Amino acid sequence: MDKKGIYLITGIVVTVLFWIFRVEVYEGLYQAPGYSDAMYNTGIYGIVGIISAAMAWGAAAIFYYAINSVRFARWWHWLSILAIVSILAPIVCYCVNSSIFNSENYSYAAEMVSFEGVNMIFTAVLYVVASYSIRWWSSNCRHTPFPQ
Amino acid sequence: MKIFSRFTPLLVMGMLAITIALSGCGKDALQKAVKDAFIKGDTTETTYQAICDIITGNPEKYSAYVDADGNINTDALDEMINEVGQSLRPPMTWNTKNYGQRALSLSIYFERSGSMVPYDQASGAGQLKKAVNDLINFFPGGENASINIVNDNIYPYSGTVESFLQDRDIYASTKGIGDASYTDFKVIFDKIFQAQKPGNVAVLITDLIYSPKNTAGVSVSKIFNEENSLATSIFTKYKGKSIIVNQLRGDYDGMYYPYNGNSFHYKGLRPFYAIIIADASTIDRMVKDTRFTNFLNLQGTVNTYRFNQAHTTLDYKLVPVWKNNAGRFRESRDQKGLITNCEPDRETGIIAFSVAVNFGGLQKDEAFLSNPSNFTIQSQNGFTMKVEKIMPTDITGNTKTYLDGMTHVITFTGKMNTAKEEINVNLRNDFPAWIAQSTSDDDSSASTAGFANTTFGLERFLRGIYDAFSASQANYTSMTIKLEK
Repeated sequence: MDKKGIYLITGIVVTVLFWIFRVEVYEGLYQAPGYSDAMYNTGIYGIVGIISAAMAWGAAAIFYYAINSVRFARWWHWLSILAIVSILAPIVCYCVNSSIFNSENYSYAAEMVSFEGVNMIFTAVLYVVASYSIRWWSSNCRHTPFPQ
Repeated sequence: MKIFSRFTPLLVMGMLAITIALSGCGKDALQKAVKDAFIKGDTTETTYQAICDIITGNPEKYSAYVDADGNINTDALDEMINEVGQSLRPPMTWNTKNYGQRALSLSIYFERSGSMVPYDQASGAGQLKKAVNDLINFFPGGENASINIVNDNIYPYSGTVESFLQDRDIYASTKGIGDASYTDFKVIFDKIFQAQKPGNVAVLITDLIYSPKNTAGVSVSKIFNEENSLATSIFTKYKGKSIIVNQLRGDYDGMYYPYNGNSFHYKGLRPFYAIIIADASTIDRMVKDTRFTNFLNLQGTVNTYRFNQAHTTLDYKLVPVWKNNAGRFRESRDQKGLITNCEPDRETGIIAFSVAVNFGGLQKDEAFLSNPSNFTIQSQNGFTMKVEKIMPTDITGNTKTYLDGMTHVITFTGKMNTAKEEINVNLRNDFPAWIAQSTSDDDSSASTAGFANTTFGLERFLRGIYDAFSASQANYTSMTIKLEK
């Protein structure tokens, strides 16, 4: 198996492990009395994990395969997509979190914001992982953010 | 060989997304309904029935919860429900054992001694008859109750339950039944116990005044000792029984027959008792079944005590968000009752944490439960405790997971001067103070202090029952909480 395949499989394994150990991963960085139990009981860690992983991989796919432009292949272009997805994914996750919590009459507004701050970090990490997994087959951006 | 084509990453990503999505959405309707019930704090019989409906609506899919006759396999369902509950935070339990059980039966034993008749005079408020009627009306299936008249022996009531309920002068219509000049508790209790079948609940309505035959010239002390030994000897034989003594007060207008034999007329309040007798397991079942709430919490009860109440495991949950909490701490996911990462409040140096508990099964009144002196607390660092009843306003979206099914919140406050701490709490089952306050050694005159509130020789008789069961009732319940810095 060549280097590209190893990168891809490693990226998938890391993402799957992130999702499997989502509770430990998220609570490792952020725990709040009551809020963490509510997140766990309602299964939101799983939903947030899927959304973050899917958006991070999706953003990387868009950058490397949909945009895939030589005019948009510098490291700051890649970084701007990272910034966008790292903001967008937590916003989507916040809306989902808020919607489920409202239906259960939970009231953890401040905790949700803090949690999405942490989720922003994980989304960025997943975007980097996804980028290193799939960039090799991009015709115009495979050298972004660093040369191959 | 080139394994990875240009489209392979996209294909793999798609499969990854689908796999993750499917694994996240794979919970079936039954487990989701159970989980929702726990999270919403809706662990009621109605919800349980809705869960059963999901099973009966698709018996092939849920065959694990259906027996060979097509009925719900309640044991398997109960196991699954509590497995789901245990997987949540905090771990939760749902007692579904009482749902759909065989109905209980009721037997009323109505004392008709000479000193009972004045409780139901036309001039009085009729509290005694009201209490008996309430017991029948609030007992599910009470319309089929067996009613008996009690004095020197037990005699069946000749009328129907309906006629008993409507009877405005029950003592007139039962006149002539048995010998009303004395009450033989030994015969009465023995016969009640012997006649009691599984699932039967007996209620004895009595003034609890021990008045055997031939007591002329016998000293009060001697008769009290006899009464005490009699009670112990009767109840020792029936270790599996439990007895709830409810003290009520009713208008009394008529002749009172004191121990010294010099009867006199008395008009005023006097105590009487509704004594509930059943297997301990039957009373435990009634306590957990809300349909018996009014029956067990009989209106007009002044004092109550349950004899032979076994030590029960206290159902409790740490409440991470509570008004009295101070400092920071974290509940262990692996060990119940362990609190880790304890950090005191920076300003005060105090740590305070709260635990929601369910005292509902104990059948104790609020004054008893809220009084810290009824608890024994052992703590290396001198933690103190405060008990509060959970009010409806305390149950919010954020607290409902922790307060569902709970009755009180205990807040422990102290300083962690050591790296570890173990707090042991016991709710003591002491002989109740109200019994001593409700007893008299002299009933020769209505002018005796406390005549309206006391019963001759009450303490000795009830102490005899208490002693019969004392080995099994040191504490009602207990709880151990460990703290680590």
